Amino acid sequence: MEKNSYKISLSDIKKMLDEQVYIADDGVCMSVFLSLQLNKPLLIEGPAGVGKTEIAKVMAKAMQTDLIRMQCYEGLDATHAIYEWNYQRQLLHLKMVEHSGQSVDEKEKTIFSQDFLMKRPLLQAITHHRKAVLLIDEVDRSDEEFESYLLEVLSDWQITIPETGTIKATHIPQVILTGNRTRELSEGLRRRCLYLYIDYPDFEKEWLIVKSKVPGIDQKLGVEICRFMQTLRNIKLEKPPGIAETLDWAMALSALHIDYLDKKTVEQTLGVVLKDWKDTRQVQMSLSELFESAGIKSKIDDL
Amino acid sequence: MISRQTSLSKNIVQFCRFLRNRGFLLSAEEEATALQSLQFINYSERNIFKQALKAVLCRSLKELREFDKLFNEYWKELEKAIDSKVKTETKPIITQGTEDASFKALKSWLNGNQNIEKEETASYSIGENLSQKDFSAVPVDDLDDLMKSIKALSKRLSAQLNRRYTHSDKVHLPDLRRTLRKNMRHGGELFEIAFKKTKPKRTKLILLCDVSKSMDLYVAFLLQFMFAFQRVFGKIETFAFSTSLENITRLLGQHDFPTALGLLGSRNNNWSGGTKIGESLNDLVQKHARLLNKRTIVVIFSDGWDTGDIPFLERSMETIQRRSKKVIWLNPLAGYASYSPDVAGMQAALPFVDVFAPVHNLESLRKLGRWL
Repeated sequence: MEKNSYKISLSDIKKMLDEQVYIADDGVCMSVFLSLQLNKPLLIEGPAGVGKTEIAKVMAKAMQTDLIRMQCYEGLDATHAIYEWNYQRQLLHLKMVEHSGQSVDEKEKTIFSQDFLMKRPLLQAITHHRKAVLLIDEVDRSDEEFESYLLEVLSDWQITIPETGTIKATHIPQVILTGNRTRELSEGLRRRCLYLYIDYPDFEKEWLIVKSKVPGIDQKLGVEICRFMQTLRNIKLEKPPGIAETLDWAMALSALHIDYLDKKTVEQTLGVVLKDWKDTRQVQMSLSELFESAGIKSKIDDL
Repeated sequence: MISRQTSLSKNIVQFCRFLRNRGFLLSAEEEATALQSLQFINYSERNIFKQALKAVLCRSLKELREFDKLFNEYWKELEKAIDSKVKTETKPIITQGTEDASFKALKSWLNGNQNIEKEETASYSIGENLSQKDFSAVPVDDLDDLMKSIKALSKRLSAQLNRRYTHSDKVHLPDLRRTLRKNMRHGGELFEIAFKKTKPKRTKLILLCDVSKSMDLYVAFLLQFMFAFQRVFGKIETFAFSTSLENITRLLGQHDFPTALGLLGSRNNNWSGGTKIGESLNDLVQKHARLLNKRTIVVIFSDGWDTGDIPFLERSMETIQRRSKKVIWLNPLAGYASYSPDVAGMQAALPFVDVFAPVHNLESLRKLGRWL
């Protein structure tokens, strides 16, 4: 039944992503499309700042539904991811009905009901009133135990609470998992998901993104920024800049009404692009070569 | 193994088997998913068809990168068969396993070494013998198996390390004393519960690998070990040093092994050069001070040959030992029966080392678990 409610074609997906100003190539579209159609989670890997998380947000917007986000971290456990009983409220409730003459059974029934359950993202996602997008961000940061638990939820779409019983999913959410490859994910989890790898964009794509996200940008400046970023990613940096950095930089320079890139500007604004002091130093030292290989003519050099 | 199939679905199933033969991990479930996905796409368009299969059948970056080639290979072979009769004989495709290519870098590295003894190769059976064998004397043919063992070993080691804190299942034990105390203000009504849980004492590891000339024979293996270990053990920082220290954690983390190895080789000119252990260790103390604390185990892979300042080395070692939980020095030369640590650098470092052990074969790497 649910399948029918999402009768869309591949080109619709592309249009949807386009409308949300997300520039996607065919591989991305196909993965998103199939994960929607097959109702399978989508595992997205890739370097930082290439728009992995963004896909989930865009999908939620495009599907006009809610995004439920779960940020993973080391030590994340069931109480933070699934549910927790609201102990204080239970206690207060018991206090209030102390003299009402209810039997112990009745009391127990009330305090272990939905009202006293604090839903955490996973439970929220499967009991949401409509099909939601569940984003499980940086899943490789969580512990392996949690990953196995996730596996169970992702395949059965149900959660068992000892006090009340099993809660079945009302709507199976559209799940997006992202990872930075800090840890190898288990084979089991991989097999539950469709896999997508997003790499840094090439020049054309990056320029397209900049153009659409920073509408007022000067053509020359934009092209130069993108060229420069492309070259920057070719040298070995500790933290290569992602698209997010490109956009920040483009916005910053555009706001400063700069219409071409020169060394001084780059030096002054490098902090927007590079977030590691070693990288900054390395780039500062090889700025001339970078300009040269990026094919940007420096006006100072001409004089 | 490619025989011509008449229906598309049969072909897809066969394609899956073809991929499986090429090292893809595919089960019947994926095959079913692939077939299912056909109903949503316009599969007569080759590109879309390919994209769809790619999205469904690949499970890792490695597979994604190989897919296009294999796809073309398979369907091209199929087109050739189209003129022939249905139910033709099987047409084997001869391709060298892609796996081999990934070890090329390593092999060439080792091929430069004179230590490969041909006569020995024949008599060695892979398996337990391999683990006893000195890294420097591994015949090229056995490399693959050795690498596999190293990978498996690092997985086991990390599991062993992790077990320490995963054992405490009772994460949320109520802390009675603190609970009572906390609730005094509520007139003794137990309104807020205080919990106690076993503190996760996560051991951090710092691996330092000497990549100077004298270590040449072992570096490839140690790097492979560090690479594999980093994949399975979360809290780890990996460094390489010869005359200066370099953090290679990220580099190893973001690439597959041959690429990482290539990058390492290309970007560092003083690799396989002299050794300044003192200066390198001082770098660790100075620039990466935050990494060193009482929960950190420092593992140094080096033979102790030092061309730098010996008293300096002594001082750095002292600081490192004082600031970390444990210092383990693994020396590849210590595997020889006649070895005694009389190199000046080694002697200077020894007083500040908690564990000194050989690391010349798999067996010795396995023992690493005992000290972690």
